[in-house]
Amino acid sequence: MELDPGTRERIDRLVGSDRVVLFMKGRRDAPQCGFSATVCRILDQILPEYTTVDVLADPEIREGVKAYASWPTIPQLYVGGEFVGGCDIVKEMYAERELHRALGVEAEAGEPPRIHVSEEAAEALRPLAEAQEPGRDLHLSIDARFRNSLYFGPGEEGDLRVESRGVAIFVDPLTARRADGLSIEVVETPEGPGFKIDNPNAPRVEPLTAPELEAWLDAGESFELLDVRTPEERATAHIPGARLLDEADRERLEGLARDVTLVFHCHHGGRSQKAAEHFAALGFRRVYNLVGGIDAWSREVDPSVPRY
Amino acid sequence: MPLQIHSEPPPEPEEVAPRMKEAIESALPGASADVRAVSPGHFEIEVVSEDFAGLSRVKQQQRVYGAIADFMSGDAPPVHAVDRLVTRTS
Repeated sequence: MELDPGTRERIDRLVGSDRVVLFMKGRRDAPQCGFSATVCRILDQILPEYTTVDVLADPEIREGVKAYASWPTIPQLYVGGEFVGGCDIVKEMYAERELHRALGVEAEAGEPPRIHVSEEAAEALRPLAEAQEPGRDLHLSIDARFRNSLYFGPGEEGDLRVESRGVAIFVDPLTARRADGLSIEVVETPEGPGFKIDNPNAPRVEPLTAPELEAWLDAGESFELLDVRTPEERATAHIPGARLLDEADRERLEGLARDVTLVFHCHHGGRSQKAAEHFAALGFRRVYNLVGGIDAWSREVDPSVPRY
Repeated sequence: MPLQIHSEPPPEPEEVAPRMKEAIESALPGASADVRAVSPGHFEIEVVSEDFAGLSRVKQQQRVYGAIADFMSGDAPPVHAVDRLVTRTS
């Protein structure tokens, strides 16, 4: 089967558009096929960000990518421009921790994390644990975007056991490295009592007010001030010292040490919140969003910056 | 609307398997392929080739899939899925 040169070029570009690219059916947050969903679930455990291409939205890519890789099925995973495999191979590589190495993520288990279960949560969990079939234990799983799940089920080799107030919790090595200092409590919700997981390692975006930003600038604090608006908006009004976040600057930021302070702003604070969350998920620990955006800056700090 | 009559009936799995074997063995000189039809459109393939030595499992499978790509593309391909593909060097 011959691959049309135009299609090949399009696929080359897609494969080269990110370090990790997954051709799948559906989107990462809404897979349309069980095999694609499995690969997403595995990648989510390891990486906060990767690129997916929905082949259902593009018949040319859907057929083309099969000839491109000499691989007859979707999903297809590429890392660093190389074809890695489909669902079966990805599952196997994950189980053998080969995938972690291919993606450059430390897979070896460290110390068991410290997990704190409140007395009330322990009282709720103990009888549930006792009622389980043998071999089904309480597991905590935290994916690379710090989404938690707490469930009873079978374990895997390499899981670490943690105990708090007589409750045994099993975590996989990746979760272990994301869970240190985590606490589990019982909270009241409109649907009745539920478990709440508080994880101090989860990425957070802190709000920063316009006067606080002014104080930081006046004090000569060291931080990156990023403007995520369009060049046209910037031409209309800008905060002195802010850099426009373009593609080249995004790459520069992603390469910075994770303890650098990042402050994001846009017009009203919505777009910059998204950008801030993206960088927090990449591991940056000091990420701020300017509340109310440049509009708040004009109103509360510098009326000479035009409002629009 | 005129009645549509297919010029050829869809190939029987028993006919497709030997053609796939031939395609694999001619694309991979020295290889020996065993192709079994499991159900309509579904096949199991086992290929032995000394040339697989030193290749990753993915690369070995890509060689085989490349050889039978024509059977798996188009609107109504005779091969819907390869349920099991085993590659060995001996």
